[in-house]
Amino acid sequence: MVIIFAIATYLALLIQTAAPLWFPFRALIPNLIIILTVDLGLRHHGALPAFVAFAIGYATDAMSGTTIGMNAFLTTGVFLLSYEISSRLLVTNAFVGATAVFFAVMLAGLGAIVILSGRGAPAAIDDAMPTLAVQALISAIVAPLIFAVMAGSKRIVGLPDRPERE
Amino acid sequence: MKGTLLWRYRVGFTSGVLMILSLHLISSGVKPGDIALRPAGITLSLLAPVEAALNNFAQGSTGFVRAYFDLVNVRRENERLKAELASVKTDQSRLVELETENQHLGNLLNLKDVLGGNSVAANVIGSDANGLARTLIIGQGTASGVHPGMAVLSFQGVVGKVIAVSPHAARVLLIDDHNSALDAFDQRTRTRGIVAGVVDDGITMKYVERSQDVHPGDVVVTSGLDGIFPRGLLIGTIKSVIGAGPGMFLNVSITPAVDFRGLEQVLVVTEMPEQPDSTQAGSKG
Repeated sequence: MVIIFAIATYLALLIQTAAPLWFPFRALIPNLIIILTVDLGLRHHGALPAFVAFAIGYATDAMSGTTIGMNAFLTTGVFLLSYEISSRLLVTNAFVGATAVFFAVMLAGLGAIVILSGRGAPAAIDDAMPTLAVQALISAIVAPLIFAVMAGSKRIVGLPDRPERE
Repeated sequence: MKGTLLWRYRVGFTSGVLMILSLHLISSGVKPGDIALRPAGITLSLLAPVEAALNNFAQGSTGFVRAYFDLVNVRRENERLKAELASVKTDQSRLVELETENQHLGNLLNLKDVLGGNSVAANVIGSDANGLARTLIIGQGTASGVHPGMAVLSFQGVVGKVIAVSPHAARVLLIDDHNSALDAFDQRTRTRGIVAGVVDDGITMKYVERSQDVHPGDVVVTSGLDGIFPRGLLIGTIKSVIGAGPGMFLNVSITPAVDFRGLEQVLVVTEMPEQPDSTQAGSKG
């Protein structure tokens, strides 16, 4: 599981750092890191996946901004929320996953703005909200595809695609 | 272990501890050379070669993609014309690409001559992984003498400074990132201030007192007093000056001289040129 998510994170970071150079509309590039974290939270329950979520965020910190720890905090938070959703719902299908991704991208974006801009957050949120909403929507649309790819990868290596109910 | 309260709430407990650790990292800040930055260097080293390869591929295919977008309307009108035009446009875009690149490199060479000191030209190979922060990845690293803290320029003006390096790549903090700050002055009135980025909202000049004479259209340049950027480099022009509201300082908004989204080649100042006497500037700020 760790290796699959390490490879997926590598590819996601590659796409998210390279795509903006080719494609001018940043908001239309899905937040693949958050999609992976939601997948982790919905389908892997335990302490190790929490560490993996933290590591995903820490790797993102390495390639984004200067505030080391910010993405680690946000991805761990998103993981925890996804885990809580998954452990409370009987069904975690693609629609639930996509909805979770939409709100996770919005929450992570708002969290990042609050951490980055402190007291200036309300004004910054006003400015960034349209971009965030579009990115969250695109991410939610793309999420089922990413979930399917991750599920396929896990099946190939013999990992369970559904968490054990606690 | 199983059945205990700790085991039952292990996910929440682990996540909570990791979130507290993250908050500690955020609040304590990380200085160059800290152990917390080592994974960042490793990640950058792992991603940079593939980034560079992808960038080369993208540059090769950019002409075709642009031509495709240009021809969407034409295709609706006439299929035959579209096919012909696509071919012509592709060739033309490639030529324009080459000409533009040539021009950029020529401009960089001119800048290098004007600047003095030592500098290294680098291609932009990647962007920030998170849209809210403003960083770039460039294809030169410690192997070319690039180190954290070095100034990065384009022929249009100041781009930012190097914040992380690997042997063949480096990350650059753009001047429109909210964490960026550089000493600058208004070229007309010599009023000093600190130019900093605003989250998702361009750049601003901080700490300009209300009594100072700054106007929209004034050119803002580096003061050279921060020891990173050579003196007199173009940062941008003042877009608006707002004095309303409480506080000691004016709210000065700046239009950057550099189009950060269109950056392809940059110059890293590896050795600062000799500074002219800086006592003239900064007497008012």
